[in-house]
Amino acid sequence: MLKMHDVSKIYRTDLIETYALRRFSLEVTPGEFVAITGPSGSGKTTFLNVAGLLEEFDSGSYLLEGRDVRSLSDNERSQLRNERIGFIFQSFNLIPDLDVYDNVEVPLRYRRLSGADRRERIGSALELVGLASRARHMPSQLSGGQQQRVAIARAIAGDPAFLLADEPTGNLDSLMSRQVLDLLEQINEMGTTILLVTHDPELARRAQRNVHLVDGQISDFRAYEPHPAVAAGLGSTGAAGA
Amino acid sequence: MLGYYLRLALKSFGRNPGITALMVLAIALGIAVCVMTLTVYHAMSGNPIWWKNDRLYAVTMDNWDPNHPLMPDSDLPPHEMTYKDTQFLFASNIPLRKVVMYPTLGVISEAGAEPPTQVFTRVTTADFFAMFEAPFLYGNGWSASADKPPQPVIVLSRAENDKLFGGANSVGRTLRWDDHEFRVIGVLNDWFPRPRFYDLNNAAFREPDATYIPYGWGSELQLLNEGESDCWRPEKLDNYKDYEASDCVWQQMWVELPDAATRERFQSFMDGYWAEQRKAGRFQRPKNNRLTDVAQWLRDNQVVDNDNRVLVGLAFAFLALCLINAVGLLLAKFLNGASVTGIRRALGASRRQIFAQLLIEVGVVSVLGALLGLALAALGLVAVHHLYAAASLGERGGYQELTHFDVVGVVWAVILAVAATFAAGLYPAWRIGRLSPATYLKSQ
Amino acid sequence: MSLDIRPTLSALLRNRTGAVLVATQVAIALAVLVNAAYIIMQRIEKIHRPTGIDEQNILVIESAGFTDRFHQTASVEEDLRYLRGVSGVVAATASNSIPLSNGGNSDSLVTRPDAPRPGYINDMEIDEQGLDTLGVKLVAGRNFRHDEVQPPLTRTDASHFVPVIIVSRELGEYLFPGQNPLGKQVWSAFNHAATIVGVVDPIMGTFPGSDHPDRMFFLPRLPDEFIVCRYWVRTRPGQLDTVARLVESHLARSNPDRVIDFVRPLTYFKNRSYLGDSSMEIFLLTVTALVIAVTSLGVFALATFNVSTRTKQIGTRRAVGARRGDIVRYFMVENGLITGAGILTGCALAFAAGYWLSVQYALPRLDLYYLVGGVLALWGIGQLAAWQPARRAAAVPPSVATRTV
Repeated sequence: MLKMHDVSKIYRTDLIETYALRRFSLEVTPGEFVAITGPSGSGKTTFLNVAGLLEEFDSGSYLLEGRDVRSLSDNERSQLRNERIGFIFQSFNLIPDLDVYDNVEVPLRYRRLSGADRRERIGSALELVGLASRARHMPSQLSGGQQQRVAIARAIAGDPAFLLADEPTGNLDSLMSRQVLDLLEQINEMGTTILLVTHDPELARRAQRNVHLVDGQISDFRAYEPHPAVAAGLGSTGAAGA
Repeated sequence: MLGYYLRLALKSFGRNPGITALMVLAIALGIAVCVMTLTVYHAMSGNPIWWKNDRLYAVTMDNWDPNHPLMPDSDLPPHEMTYKDTQFLFASNIPLRKVVMYPTLGVISEAGAEPPTQVFTRVTTADFFAMFEAPFLYGNGWSASADKPPQPVIVLSRAENDKLFGGANSVGRTLRWDDHEFRVIGVLNDWFPRPRFYDLNNAAFREPDATYIPYGWGSELQLLNEGESDCWRPEKLDNYKDYEASDCVWQQMWVELPDAATRERFQSFMDGYWAEQRKAGRFQRPKNNRLTDVAQWLRDNQVVDNDNRVLVGLAFAFLALCLINAVGLLLAKFLNGASVTGIRRALGASRRQIFAQLLIEVGVVSVLGALLGLALAALGLVAVHHLYAAASLGERGGYQELTHFDVVGVVWAVILAVAATFAAGLYPAWRIGRLSPATYLKSQ
Repeated sequence: MSLDIRPTLSALLRNRTGAVLVATQVAIALAVLVNAAYIIMQRIEKIHRPTGIDEQNILVIESAGFTDRFHQTASVEEDLRYLRGVSGVVAATASNSIPLSNGGNSDSLVTRPDAPRPGYINDMEIDEQGLDTLGVKLVAGRNFRHDEVQPPLTRTDASHFVPVIIVSRELGEYLFPGQNPLGKQVWSAFNHAATIVGVVDPIMGTFPGSDHPDRMFFLPRLPDEFIVCRYWVRTRPGQLDTVARLVESHLARSNPDRVIDFVRPLTYFKNRSYLGDSSMEIFLLTVTALVIAVTSLGVFALATFNVSTRTKQIGTRRAVGARRGDIVRYFMVENGLITGAGILTGCALAFAAGYWLSVQYALPRLDLYYLVGGVLALWGIGQLAAWQPARRAAAVPPSVATRTV
């Protein structure tokens, strides 16, 4: 579904030229759970921005679901982000003046769905993440883990083709992190492709496949062994309950 | 600490020159418009002789038509008096000073090298100059004995003296007034009370008269009134003598009564005369013998223009607008610097210290805004003066008082400006001081 | 294209301070704008009331005799003869007053002898060329005849009236409501009768500031002997200055017993009379412009502030699919809600202010058109001021969402 080939992104200042991504290639098939790892400064965030159509790249090609993204206009990219991609950010990025319901609704508003349609989707998304009872709470009234789960609900409410998660547990303690990861696995089992960017190898272990970035290039294309339980098709334990 | 806070404030302005400039400008604009309007209002309707307000009184009695008041929508008597009545009342010794007068026109000739010109001349009794505190540049006025029989002496305004004698000391020189020889005994200094409170019937904002001659000349030369005169009865009015004998009102009378007791005595005197005349068939309207102080006189004559009052309301609304604007800008500026504030709090600054620091910033902005506002107001008033002067071409004097602040007014304006801005800045400073440091130490 | 008003409104209500400040400014601005516009229009209308007079082409010459040898009637006859003969002069007359100058004469008139007197009515003395000099139209009846022009009032005889007068249409209606005033008689303060022989309209007398400036009448009489004489001279278009210079130099020397005080265009007196109104206009226009400027600044500042403090949010919205236009619309809607709230409050304020003004100063009640106009104008101004910040918001790149500082 996602095909990057020889993608390069260069940041230029007057003095230096930095290759954030250097001839980077990656293929992701639908339903995969891929982790992109690497130390800080390795280009993970740049990869995320390019993969998520948040930034453009300088050379190479990127086909998303068969479409060449370089030929897209700004509005078309926005539309793709809205309908096909779900973002989960390290610092949650919830809008502080909107309640949980309205936060989840934001991308749906840009899609011009009917009110009833939106209500239904938001309802099931919040159910899935276990926060249906907090629909009218403000983000400041929620814990970090809860806020991230709201962000996940926002990401999946539109039924995207794949999720892009940027260090989703970076600001959470171990208990909350586990809950969030369980949720992501659950979503992946339901068929959504997930690209997880992290520097934490423990996190990366939960994914099916690892891609290791150093200085903008892939240094290790190791296919990781799936968790035995997953391989046995038993599904992950511990639903994402509070 | 004050010096430290000041330095911080100035540094903060340097980092945010745009928003600081906007704030100062917003405050300055509001204050400029307000001060300008208040000055115009004060100049146009203030009491030019306010320090004597409890001593000077306009004398009026209602001798009008029993079936109709002179002014249909008010209970005021006519603004002027008849000759008969002023002569009788003038004979009283109760007032400290007393004036009866009216304006006429005369032609001055054979004065210096100037061709003959026509001037407004006030025919008045001697106390005029002392009572209304008209200042003398050269010489002085005449004494009461020069009123009757009238001496051929004349007092000139400064402008008139400039015109006729080039501003020199003309005391002792002669000129012809309406073809009669008069001797100059005094020249007034610059004097332009706004409004011309002692004569509101005839163009309240016109410059004072060019010349003054003793009261007796009115009768002697049969000088007809050139100011307002009103008559209600059909009576014989063939000549000046008839006007003296008539019930027409055309004379102005003022008295100076230094205390309440004197005032009461004069009031009784007036009432006594009124009762007597009423028995003889005059004064058939309800008793309305008034001694009106200058402030009330201005109100009665509707000198306080409706226009100006509307403008004052408008000016304050505009000031409010500008101050609210400044509050918003201050708030935005402080919130933008909130992360720095958070760091200070984390390093140990108390709420009060933060509040004090921000207040100093507010203080500097308000002083700057006030100063700029006053400067703009002064400029604005010069512009207004030119506006009026240009439109009053040919009329000497113009509205020059609009370019002079009185000291009291300026002090009040400064106080108003700084106080208002300070008050406006209290809320933003308090808001920021109240924030917990953690909120703003984190990223957005 | 939905406007997403509800969530924008919810967010706005939770973070109100900036919005309240700007809405208050908008409210004050509306109240000031609407009432200022109204007062300005009133003044403009007042200044442009028809006077019926050919103001642009009339000179006023003031002549004052000062010696005992001076004889007003002879002087007037001589001067008029001269003036009427000057090339470029259409007509000339002698009077006791100056039209539109806020100074002049009044007499009381009643419709029955010995009736109670209701007040004073403005009048002007002219001769048979007076109406032509002013350029005033007779709508009924006739002009004065030369033989009807009375000798002047003198120092020893000041009470005679005239046999005929010409009234303004307004005065005719005032004295004889619903009837034709032609041919009717009126009585002066001295119980002398005069017949109305003509009606003019439009006309304004000498007091433009009075409640009924068009309530006046003309008397056929030479100017009183003991006052200054005012000549009115009507010139052909474009000849005013030439004639003025010519006659001034001649008249100043032609009679040593009198002095010429001035030769001025009639417009000088009219402008001076309306000085208060035109100054008020200028002041109000200036304040209106300032109000718009300051309010726009406030709206702009708040919008800019909102944009600069919400870059993360903008990036996030873009990341989840908002287009540039969606971001612009988001800020414009938010601004529209704030401006709208201010306008609603401002309407109430404007009405309250207008009502208070009409009660305090007897001004007519505020016209609804001004309110509607003010609302539309201020709405437009408010949205315009927020446009540039909104555009800048749309330029925030979506990659801002993934930055961690």
